[in-house]
Amino acid sequence: MEDLKRFRELFLSFQVDAVGPEVDACLARGTTPKAFLACCQKCMEEIGEKFDAGQYYLPELVVAGEMFKGVSERIKPLLEATDATSRGILVLGTPQGDIHNLGKDIFGVLAEADGLTVHDLGVDVPPTAFLEKLETTGASILGMSALVTAAFDPMQEVIRLLEEKGLRDMVRVILGGGVTTSEMADRLGADAQTQDAYEGLKIVRTFTTTGE
Amino acid sequence: MNGTSGKKIHDKDTMTAEERLEAVVRLEQPDRVPLSMMLYYYNPFHTGQRMSEYMAKPEVYRESSRKVYEDLGPWDIYYNINPVSRLLYSYAMMMRYLYPGIELPDNVMAQVEEIEYMKPEDYDTILQQGYTFNDVRFRMRMLPRFCKDAEGVSLALLWPTLARDFIRQKLFWKKDLAWCQEEGIVMQIGMQAEMPFDLFSMARTVVPFSLDLFQRPDKIRRAALRLAPSFAEFMIWVARLMGVPRVQCYCHRTSNSFISPRQFEELVFPSLEEIVCRIIDAGMTPILHCDGDWLKNFKVLRRLPPKKIILQLDGLTDIYEAKALIGDHMCLFGDVSAEKLALGSPQEVDETCHRLIEEVGKEGGFILAGGCEIPYNAKPENLKAMTRSVYKYGYYEMKSPVAAEIPVPTPT
Repeated sequence: MEDLKRFRELFLSFQVDAVGPEVDACLARGTTPKAFLACCQKCMEEIGEKFDAGQYYLPELVVAGEMFKGVSERIKPLLEATDATSRGILVLGTPQGDIHNLGKDIFGVLAEADGLTVHDLGVDVPPTAFLEKLETTGASILGMSALVTAAFDPMQEVIRLLEEKGLRDMVRVILGGGVTTSEMADRLGADAQTQDAYEGLKIVRTFTTTGE
Repeated sequence: MNGTSGKKIHDKDTMTAEERLEAVVRLEQPDRVPLSMMLYYYNPFHTGQRMSEYMAKPEVYRESSRKVYEDLGPWDIYYNINPVSRLLYSYAMMMRYLYPGIELPDNVMAQVEEIEYMKPEDYDTILQQGYTFNDVRFRMRMLPRFCKDAEGVSLALLWPTLARDFIRQKLFWKKDLAWCQEEGIVMQIGMQAEMPFDLFSMARTVVPFSLDLFQRPDKIRRAALRLAPSFAEFMIWVARLMGVPRVQCYCHRTSNSFISPRQFEELVFPSLEEIVCRIIDAGMTPILHCDGDWLKNFKVLRRLPPKKIILQLDGLTDIYEAKALIGDHMCLFGDVSAEKLALGSPQEVDETCHRLIEEVGKEGGFILAGGCEIPYNAKPENLKAMTRSVYKYGYYEMKSPVAAEIPVPTPT
């Protein structure tokens, strides 16, 4: 753990350029990839909590996400199959008619850092593509994000298709993005809604821990 | 500058729309709450025109927007958003627009594609240049990097093309202005543009700009401040040319949904203050289009001159809290949510508008409007309910339920 002390300090002080070389140095000294992953997840959690408390804002979350992605890319090839345990599978995307990706991307990185397997379908995703991915991956969580009301009808269509295929009870649906509201989520028949990526993560945690 | 014909749009009105708007900006209580419908993408869906035609042909836009006003109006403030060209719109907003019928299917809204077209060294270029026309030169340098209609076009050709489009816009708005005067309503904007800090955020895109905030914050602050005078002067010049004394300043990325209050105060406020004060000194009204949640920025925003500014909210700032925190300093504009207009019922819209009028409109300083633009899929009956609400509940000397019986007038 001593080896990771400096890495942790660099990560938590957002020393973006120094984090990568420190990873390489630690790996050379024999730090295991699994230990790195655990440390990164702890750092992300700390940063997320500060965001939640209003001490940090979006830039901190974004930069932390970038550092996490960088570290992940370095250590993933080195991870043993048994090291990479997933806490759940999430399918994510911006529905057809909308090409905004900011909130979705931040949420995706946070979810991945939290141990979820994330299948990000990108933007302007047709309803059937969500269904296909849910079926092929067996994901139990679906996140749809939108910034414009054009995405409302496709979101509703996805939920209708889930019901039609008898999958609705097996998939929890969370809606996110600036144009969404809790009233709108109720109207569309979603399970949850948020305008905040970190709050979204907390909601998804309740899905994976309680199954509700 | 934008005097109406003196015509009143409702029998019960004792003020013209212009007088009403000026009164609320001064935070005075007018005869009734004014209404602005920020309609753009909604219009062609209402009138059955193709979005691609509506976006490409100013005369189609005109026909469509007039028909919507006939069907759902009258309202006090006409949202003259329509650009005569994508090039001109891109110059003002500095975003890459994908248009229906060109990059997108024929009958969908235009979309913004966020691409990183500004590099870190562009901050240095801004700082190395003087103040004169710095903002204009910066925008012209950037245009070919992101605007579909400017890609590969030399600056020598871009200048005259843009000048031609400015003239076309002026001529188009001249007719709009004449129509507004006939109807007794006012045009909302004489010019609009993305503010420097927000422009950098968009142009760098979220991840690189977030890194910039850690790695070169002072350059961001100084570069925004360097662009500010020329930004303001150009906005003022165009607004004068267009004959409308209001300038809409877009702050898409300045809220606490993006940056901290400290970053707002240190990196944004100096340039924002410079721009706003210049616009006010020119005798015009700045309209701050504030996307995201602004509550924590209000303390600093109160340093701007009082009773001179319109603060436009987009549904993410709690407008009721805004009334308490800054309603005695700036005129509030908003804030019927897009979700409510698209999915709600007329009854729900009526209740929302009623509460806004009663609470945010208390003692004046309020313009009823949607949260940002009216969504393209708003229900017409909901927009009708929104219009009706200012005549039902909006008269200051005459509150409901008696006023509830007043019929919605049709424009004459």
